[in-house]
Amino acid sequence: MEFITGVYLFFIFVSLYSVFLILLIYLRNRDKLYIEREIKGFYDISIVIPAYNKEDSILNTINAVKNMDYPLSKMEILVIDDGSKDKTAEIARNISGIRFFEKGYNSGKSDTVNFGVKNARGEIIAVIDADSYPEKDSFKKMIGYFDDPEVGAVTASCFVKNTGKIIEKLQAVEYFLIAFGRKILDFVDSVYVTPGSLSMYRKKLLVEVGGFDTNNITEDIEIAWKILKNKYKNRMCLSAKVYTEVPSNLKQWWRQRLRWNIGGFQTVYKYRDSFFKKSLNMFGLFVVPRFFISHVLSITGFFVFVYVFGREIFQKITYWIFSIQNGNTILEVPRLFLIPSVFTFFILLLFVFTIVFTYIGLKTMNKVGVGFKANLIILFYLLFYLTLYPLVLLHSLYLLVMGNIRW
Amino acid sequence: MVRFGDLFWKALVLTVVVFLLGVLLGFALERNRTGEIEREFQIIDLQWSDAKLQTLYYQNLEPRFCDFAIRENLEFADRVYNEGLNIEDYDRATFLTNDLELEKKKYALLKVEFWLNSIVLKGKCKAKYINLVYFFANDLELKTESEQDTQSEILKDLKEKYGKDLMLIPLPIDADVSVINVMKGTYNISRTPAILINEKIKLEGLQSFDDLELLIKNEQL
Repeated sequence: MEFITGVYLFFIFVSLYSVFLILLIYLRNRDKLYIEREIKGFYDISIVIPAYNKEDSILNTINAVKNMDYPLSKMEILVIDDGSKDKTAEIARNISGIRFFEKGYNSGKSDTVNFGVKNARGEIIAVIDADSYPEKDSFKKMIGYFDDPEVGAVTASCFVKNTGKIIEKLQAVEYFLIAFGRKILDFVDSVYVTPGSLSMYRKKLLVEVGGFDTNNITEDIEIAWKILKNKYKNRMCLSAKVYTEVPSNLKQWWRQRLRWNIGGFQTVYKYRDSFFKKSLNMFGLFVVPRFFISHVLSITGFFVFVYVFGREIFQKITYWIFSIQNGNTILEVPRLFLIPSVFTFFILLLFVFTIVFTYIGLKTMNKVGVGFKANLIILFYLLFYLTLYPLVLLHSLYLLVMGNIRW
Repeated sequence: MVRFGDLFWKALVLTVVVFLLGVLLGFALERNRTGEIEREFQIIDLQWSDAKLQTLYYQNLEPRFCDFAIRENLEFADRVYNEGLNIEDYDRATFLTNDLELEKKKYALLKVEFWLNSIVLKGKCKAKYINLVYFFANDLELKTESEQDTQSEILKDLKEKYGKDLMLIPLPIDADVSVINVMKGTYNISRTPAILINEKIKLEGLQSFDDLELLIKNEQL
């Protein structure tokens, strides 16, 4: 058996393990996906909206928050302008019923949220991006989780607001599946991110852990890890929904994903001492190793891919050059090659599992059977969109190695 | 972890079971294909023995049946060639076992036998066809592999053009077959691709269609 065959088989083993784990967690908990916590009382919530150059969306975000189905006396809205260069501050300043803060300088989202936390009066902090729009009943659905003193943060299902372009539709599919996947991980106490679009935190805990890390460019991953490391739990409320604006072109998308990946690397590095630490329970034994292993496998997988296909391409090009030089025809009908091998079985199996996961995920999110066009988008998502992940990951790694991580 | 530990272990057990099943299936597929090749070789072997005896008979007793012997030889060449394509395809789908290596050696030996028979027939029957032996190797650096691919295509085109006037015999020089090693030494083959025309003209490196055609035409005169 060749070395490369061994590498492929190892990849397959790890992929199968992930698939079976997700499947088993789902099967055991499929009836609990949408179970909501009973509200025993309303907590005081401080809604922190950090805003930087969000003149197009800030008003709608604030309006969405003001219209939440939650006792007004139990809510305060803090809008903090992070030194915007556009009319964000001007718009927010004139809105009544909110506490508006103008920092006057740009210091990034983490610092801005920390500023909000410092000025907040509520016992629960709800962080909402200035281009996100929570559904009216989201707070009510999420707040009950805090009755459990072990819960440090609760997050919601984040969906795509702008779905006009293909790239936006692809992200819409992705966001449905991310929400579903996060809920699955919730059942094993492994929610590893509390997205900025809408997440709630226990204020006492945020203060205790020193707030959001201002040096990390994915503060929503870092804070979730910090909470887990402090032996609190992050929860995911699937029925609570928030809609957010997503990148509408490839360049913006790529940049966003670079940020996510680099932030992911930073976080793994920061918490490297937690790797396989039994005392940290799921965080040490699953969250950190899973993140680390998936990154390593993606990068290694990419290099294997480059090696195998690069070799093929090089061979094809030199073949064409030699053929032209020697008067040979370069176009030929390729021989049909349909002989099954050990990999045919595994690749088919994994592909079927991917489709099953996608189907179950979309069904859970009530997005199955939405017409031919939507199914075409799903197919495109499975066959092409997902293949971009390792490319972005590699670019992120390059930027990280070169030390070019300013955002 | 304690609360969900069973899920992680169950997933591991399930993975190991499915993984082993997949690998076993892979082994079974590869073994089955090797068996198939072996069975086909047995048939070819039988046909080949028959053909060789016919050749001997015609050469020694009935020289007027040369045409028939040459035709038999050519038909055999076609069968061996098709079997070669099968082996090539199966080889590309073989990842777990080395069973096919033995079949590849047997195949190389058959081609050597075919070559030797072609030489004998050519001498005895004063046949006009050209023996073109193409030496290639496996496990090469990329550039040489591309050269070989190109050479193979050029030779296929030549064979198509000259049909039964050209006996094309591809031989792997790194198959660890003694008789090929001897030939490699005899003709001093130092690199691949290499071509031997009528056991006289040795060419090393990539050869163009036109150059080879010129040599073939000269040999036919």
